[in-house]
Amino acid sequence: MTTDLLVIGAGWSGLLAAYTAAKAGLQVQVVAKGLGSMHWAAGTVDVLGYSSEEMSRPVQQPLEAIQGLTASHPDHPYALLGAHQVQTALDAFSALATELGLPYSGAGGFDTPGYSTSGENMLLPSAVGSLRPTFLAPQAQLAGDASRVEPLLIVGFTGLRDFYPELIAENLAKQGFQARAAFLPLNLLTEQGDRNNVHLAQGLDDKTRRMKLGGELKRLARPGERIGLPAILGLDDHAAAFADLQAAAGAPLFEIPTLPPSVPGMRLFKALRARLWNLGVRVDAGMEAIGAGTIPPNGAAGRVQWVETATTSRPLKNRAKNYLLATGGILGGGFDSDHTGRIWETVFGLPLTIPQHRYEWFRPEFMNPAGHPVFNGGLAVDGRMQPVDSTGQVIYSNLWAAGGALASVDPIQQHSLEGIAIATGFAAAQAIVRAMAQ
Amino acid sequence: MPMHTTSWESVGPSLDECIKCNICTSYCPVAEVTDKFHGPKYSGPQAQRFRENGQPQSPDHSVDYCSGCRVCNEVCPTGVRIAELNARARAQAAAEHGIPLRNRLLGRSDLLGKMGMIAPGLANFAMSNGLARSIASGVMGISKGAQMPQWSTEGTFASWLKRTGAQRLKSDKKIVYFHGCSTMYYEPYVGKAAMAVFEHNGFEVLVPEQGCCGLPLLNNAEFPAAEKYHHRNLEWLVPYARQGYQIVGTSTSCTLTLKEEAPDMLDIHSPEAHELAMAVWDMFEWLRELHDQGQMKTDFQPINMVLPYHPPCQYRAHHIGSPVMDILPLIPGLDVRESHARCCGGAGTYVYKKEKYQIAMDVGQELFTFFADQGPQVTMTACTSETCRWHIESATHLPCRHPIEVLAAAYGLYDLEKRRLVKE
Repeated sequence: MTTDLLVIGAGWSGLLAAYTAAKAGLQVQVVAKGLGSMHWAAGTVDVLGYSSEEMSRPVQQPLEAIQGLTASHPDHPYALLGAHQVQTALDAFSALATELGLPYSGAGGFDTPGYSTSGENMLLPSAVGSLRPTFLAPQAQLAGDASRVEPLLIVGFTGLRDFYPELIAENLAKQGFQARAAFLPLNLLTEQGDRNNVHLAQGLDDKTRRMKLGGELKRLARPGERIGLPAILGLDDHAAAFADLQAAAGAPLFEIPTLPPSVPGMRLFKALRARLWNLGVRVDAGMEAIGAGTIPPNGAAGRVQWVETATTSRPLKNRAKNYLLATGGILGGGFDSDHTGRIWETVFGLPLTIPQHRYEWFRPEFMNPAGHPVFNGGLAVDGRMQPVDSTGQVIYSNLWAAGGALASVDPIQQHSLEGIAIATGFAAAQAIVRAMAQ
Repeated sequence: MPMHTTSWESVGPSLDECIKCNICTSYCPVAEVTDKFHGPKYSGPQAQRFRENGQPQSPDHSVDYCSGCRVCNEVCPTGVRIAELNARARAQAAAEHGIPLRNRLLGRSDLLGKMGMIAPGLANFAMSNGLARSIASGVMGISKGAQMPQWSTEGTFASWLKRTGAQRLKSDKKIVYFHGCSTMYYEPYVGKAAMAVFEHNGFEVLVPEQGCCGLPLLNNAEFPAAEKYHHRNLEWLVPYARQGYQIVGTSTSCTLTLKEEAPDMLDIHSPEAHELAMAVWDMFEWLRELHDQGQMKTDFQPINMVLPYHPPCQYRAHHIGSPVMDILPLIPGLDVRESHARCCGGAGTYVYKKEKYQIAMDVGQELFTFFADQGPQVTMTACTSETCRWHIESATHLPCRHPIEVLAAAYGLYDLEKRRLVKE
């Protein structure tokens, strides 16, 4: 079986690329070692939270800042694509999220739903009460934006692990917000004793249960307050759960992303995977890519012939016309290293811009604004998202790369993980569609 | 025989890969429906920290409620072998606390098969008799609701092979068929359908001496007995692997055990175990390979039917994608709809245990709802694993077939309703 496109990795970039290509009519297959990045992060789309020049203040206008990158950091993935392509990709994501019933909005979106009215970053409270810059957020997180004036009531549940409303309220108060904390009993959410966030979110897919919770929230809230809750307001029936709860509470509600697993991320993952299934795309986890068959470059670019995935017996050869590497960096499993500091890309053995000695991985200060070479490095690609060698030549004519594996950016430090993934995944898929049309 | 000591060697290091992201617990179908199982992260990598360093007691009893479906392994982004950690923990608990007679019996599908075959009619009557089942439930703790397999009333698969030996195809192209206990004693028609498909594609089928793969024993924490079973199969089957034969099985959990479960759990890392593992194929994995080489016949008759198909968790644990979905849709008229349910809940012998029956039914709800959603035109479902088929039939009241039966029917060789070859 030969598909048009084999996507390796089921995170933000891989899934968005798979969707973009499948919607354009390509036959697409996704293989992944496990389920990844959407389950780890806040479920927001961080485009550019901090620039490497200025780490003390968040970026206010990320799309404007991206335009500046073209001159200052020409190798940065955003610079390779240009602000216009980034914007196009974000528009495509936004349309998809709305189609999935999980709309995202930018600053000001709570009052005027829509993509982003001002082009500004929002500042949303984290699970420790710090403020995170982000560009697009799910509907249920918008009322948390620091630019809003309502005092905050942070509600937790007794016995719920890893969510401490007092800590959040106290830290918000220290930053000048009017914030207080309150607790509700856990048995409002479940009769069972041992539940994680995802199970609790599933509980609120049940209408009776959420109406009961809504009533309790109404009782707790003082007039004019907005209410912050752990991000557990429904899983598969989230939109209705959120609307019901907000109506019953009679106050603006917002979810605060918890420690993993991320319910907002999981909602998007499940909806997007179901959409891919509908488009005839197989999305198989438990299929770790461990190697590839290639015609090596020899003057001209080489070709990938197949990608091997591990099975319980012989490796399986997955054949496609085109391949997209979306395995992420060190955290995603796209790179591996040994104790000497040798670091390599795990599927094709592509060259990395990361130093091959551990003493060169880090700069002296942990919080160095220039970042650390080990996190800034990765796969060098051209403007079409094709991995290139040190001379800038495309390595394999039918191989593309996107997301966390790319060089010249530290998405965690810059708060740009989802933005990079969406922009590069979308651009790679479009380039593949164009290549197929030729 | 010395007590088998549980070795953590092959799974221990994977523990350090755990980043505590909880994706496993979020997708665990058992933890979702019961508090009795604390979830893969807690019972696996978390509890494992306390199992090492010669701790006299295992840290928890909840691991007995792990059904072994391996969804945790499938979703883990960092490759922790959670299900294997849990299986070893079960074995260690069993070594400490003993194994109930019920589990010893359920672990011996070959022995149960043979016993029932002495008088299959009587055995089937007893297993469907309310009074007998009440006694089994009260005395042994065997759940009353679970559908017991029906012993074959037409003789074993081996007796049919013997009877029809003269009609079997001779060919230069040969493969070895591993039928498993269920085909031997309960569902010989699955084996007959497989034989028909092999021969239709021009292969002579060798069925050498073979025994239970040992999976039910592994699931019921009887590692020493399972070890014996695996060594026996190595003795019988490795000579064929060495001659280059592909060893193809229709029972997905048997082939998984021969490939990985037995050598891995029992730490049998001999060259022989490796040779066997490399020679074993799941039936549809093998057919997909044949088709990729342009060698599989596609002279199908149309089957006009909507067929919901469930790839069982044990099948997905092969990490071979979904070869059934690469082959069955080639049949004209057949509308195969793949389930994305995590597990049917039955999980081998899990559903037969009284204290776990309701959990198994609750876990299966996701799948049963999928089947119901396919509409009233559905008269039959399909699944690759025998115990899952029995569980699905009891929950949906619809016949559930092995996909190889469907393929044999599409070749015009098999009656899908009556479950017999057109020409016996």
